Amino acid sequence: MIQHFPVLAIMTLFLASFLVVLFGSRNKIVRGIITMVASTIPLVLMICLIKPIMIEGQVISYWLGNWEPVNGWAIGIGIEVDALSLFFALIVTLTVFLSAFYSLKYMSRDDTLEKYYVLFLMLSGAVLGLVLTGDLFNLFIMIEILTFAAVALTAFRNNEDGPLEAAFKYLVVGSIGSSLTLTGVILLYSQLHTLNMAQISAMLQNGQNSTTVFAFALLLTGFSIKAFIVPVHPVAADAYTAAPTSASMALAGMVNKTGVYGIIRLLYIIFMTMGLSSVQNLIVTIGTVTMFLGVTMALNQHDFKRLLAFHSISQIGYVITAIGLGTALGLTGGLYHAMNHTLFKGMLFLCAGAVLYSAGTTNLDRLGGLAKKMPQTCAIFLIGAFSISGIPPFNGFVSKWLIYQATYERASQTGNFGFALVTVIAVVVSVMTLASFIKVSQSVFFGELPAEFSNVKEAPVSMRIPMWIMAILCILTGVLPAQVYQYLIRPAVNAVLSPVKYINVMMGNGYAEKFLSKVQAAPDKSVALAGYWQPESWLLLFVIVLAAVTVAALLGKKDRGVSSSSAEVTDGKYATFYSGEKNEFSRVGGSDLFWGLKYNLRHYFGFIGNIHSGVVNDYALWAVMIFAVYIVFAFIFLL
Amino acid sequence: MLHLKNNLTENDTIVRNAGGFFLPFALMFGFYVIMHGNLSPGGGFQGGVCVAGAVILLFLGYGYDTLVKAIHPEFIRKNEAVGATAYVVIALMGILFGANFCRNVFFRNGQVGDLFSAGTIGYMNYAVGYKVLTGVGFLLILLFGTLNTGNGEEDDSQDSAESKGGEAE
Amino acid sequence: MMLLNYICCVFLIVLGLYTVIVKKNILKIVIGLGIIDYGVNILIISIGYNPGGTAPIFTPGEIKPGTFFVDPIPQALTLTSIVIGACVTAMALSIVIKIYKKYGTLDSTKIRRLNG
Repeated sequence: MIQHFPVLAIMTLFLASFLVVLFGSRNKIVRGIITMVASTIPLVLMICLIKPIMIEGQVISYWLGNWEPVNGWAIGIGIEVDALSLFFALIVTLTVFLSAFYSLKYMSRDDTLEKYYVLFLMLSGAVLGLVLTGDLFNLFIMIEILTFAAVALTAFRNNEDGPLEAAFKYLVVGSIGSSLTLTGVILLYSQLHTLNMAQISAMLQNGQNSTTVFAFALLLTGFSIKAFIVPVHPVAADAYTAAPTSASMALAGMVNKTGVYGIIRLLYIIFMTMGLSSVQNLIVTIGTVTMFLGVTMALNQHDFKRLLAFHSISQIGYVITAIGLGTALGLTGGLYHAMNHTLFKGMLFLCAGAVLYSAGTTNLDRLGGLAKKMPQTCAIFLIGAFSISGIPPFNGFVSKWLIYQATYERASQTGNFGFALVTVIAVVVSVMTLASFIKVSQSVFFGELPAEFSNVKEAPVSMRIPMWIMAILCILTGVLPAQVYQYLIRPAVNAVLSPVKYINVMMGNGYAEKFLSKVQAAPDKSVALAGYWQPESWLLLFVIVLAAVTVAALLGKKDRGVSSSSAEVTDGKYATFYSGEKNEFSRVGGSDLFWGLKYNLRHYFGFIGNIHSGVVNDYALWAVMIFAVYIVFAFIFLL
Repeated sequence: MLHLKNNLTENDTIVRNAGGFFLPFALMFGFYVIMHGNLSPGGGFQGGVCVAGAVILLFLGYGYDTLVKAIHPEFIRKNEAVGATAYVVIALMGILFGANFCRNVFFRNGQVGDLFSAGTIGYMNYAVGYKVLTGVGFLLILLFGTLNTGNGEEDDSQDSAESKGGEAE
Repeated sequence: MMLLNYICCVFLIVLGLYTVIVKKNILKIVIGLGIIDYGVNILIISIGYNPGGTAPIFTPGEIKPGTFFVDPIPQALTLTSIVIGACVTAMALSIVIKIYKKYGTLDSTKIRRLNG
């Protein structure tokens, strides 16, 4: 019975989306019930699968229509769930559940809502189908459904002009990526006459000819466009800004993880090329450029959600860098950071949504002082900001520490100085992330409250519950890293580094040994997790410091004079500095912070601001450029 | 088609009469291609698109307002979900009967070459054909609606997006 | 003879990519996306061809098990790919209609309000 669970989870989401079309047009309660039931069932099914797959180490192999392999050739569509797939499936189903719960109240001000839920459920079903399948063409179909649903969700509020433009750019670049992926799949089929990932991975060990190398470049381009790494990232910034926030959280939390999953499957299991140092150098270089470019673009932004989108691009750069190292410690850090990124980035997007719902704008130059009116949102935002910057005891610290350790250890293993440089850049990017979030929290939550926002209320309860759930999960995964590693991360890393088991379960025992000249055993798993660090003492220290700061701030408040609680923001914000007028309050926030850094490096910031030009032809040109780089690389180093 | 003749907005006699004459043949050909999916090239998708082509014949001959009165778009849109749900439910029958998903469980009757010899897959074929004909027909009605001067559908991009996404799945 | 098919497919894909990168009218960009899809479809069909094979349909009396026929899997893949190409074109055209109503222009260098 347990082998039917993956298919049932996927089909529940698709069936629910069709039922919402039938029954959900007029009745809001029916629509809400169908959505919540359909979001809970896959989560429950995936949690039931933790015990057989993660703890006992089984792999579920399921052939649609009972078409078993004949004479060693796979003739049916197979679904194979191993620990890596289940890890990503857990992230996906949790995001779907929380996003559906948040959207019940958040989207209640829009109309034609049944179309939103149809598209959202179809997006969820496609992402879940992508991570659970074992067949390459099925993967391509799920990528296509995913692209349609994401484009339509981006264009949902089509009475404004931003979403339409963002949807068009996403459609053009996404469609180019899908076509290139399909070409790669077809070229692999023409050489090997099978579409099953396990059989392809076994047969590719016989040696590669120029067609399969070209297919490698095509597939890697397709998955890079899905994961939104440099240089195809500007589409992501537009799409995450323009989508409604609960869909934006789903896009930033689930959809770019599918690109990461695709890259892991491609490099580690299908082509098994991670042993080559040239591939490692390429992936680490791309990841490093992504993380640095993401965070420096984020310093330029004036819009809350666009800033969060650029930070999301930067964190995916971390994950790609860690995966590209090829060691067990690097994979651990990468997968842990992928899970943490969904949790804290989803939470930050939900806070941005709550601010938009209550205050009506996300412009950093106009907001201010919302902490008095929305205290719980402010607390959740601060937890998210500390997590993303990597401050102990939150979960960002654990995964970033693992990544620093992994890159530095790799530098000492190979003697390549470049990896140590990657560690330094990673730490610098972390500091700049913290700087950027100090800017956002000062602009949005602290400071003085402008007069136009004086009757802003706290976010409704049903919107706060998903945020608190994610905050508690952030704290838990930060304080208990050993348990998380043992139950979730370690089986996934084992599954990635041992493709022999993947092949044997799918195609029958002994199949892999016929093709692989040497059967690699899974490496030893004694990873000393972050050494001597004790998370509980860091949590205690954090609580003590927070209490001390609060007491000091409250004591000092009595001494300040009467300050107006809501001041008029006129254009004379700087007038008190040069005209001698007495002004109670001069609002500092938004673009005023870090202006010195931006002025001193104005050539660099101006340059990267100008090349994100907004023209769709430029974005398509960059996609073709990265395709050309991959082709040249593949033919020089892999043939 | 008597009530259609009273609501004409176009004045072109040749197009109107030719469209009316060829409509039954177009529909019959489309349904033939759907039903013979297991015996000849064709099947659900191709036949569905042929039947939806009949919508174009009606539009060319009689104009957009008559088309909307003859084929109610909201009804067609709900039927697309009926076709999709039928496909998923028939595929889930395999699990109820003890085998895997999409298993051919109704295949006991018929010889090779008969019309009803495809078992479960035959019924899924009909479900796909029904879904495609309603889906593509609805899409064509939407796109024709934007051709008129005046108001088009306000949210046609979501309608077309969800119908096309459902079809691709 | 199959070499002509492969040359045609590569030519169509490159032409489609050129159209998407260079042309400024967004309708031409949508046409370029369609051209890329057609090129990929020709590639899929050409791969499945076995010289001298017949159609892979079981009809009684004409085909026995053991007859040499062309590969049926790429034909199913092509069908799916044509459906997807039609869907992408439909969705892109509806977005273009809404963009024209909002922005009043079809020039891609003027549709750039989200930048920087």
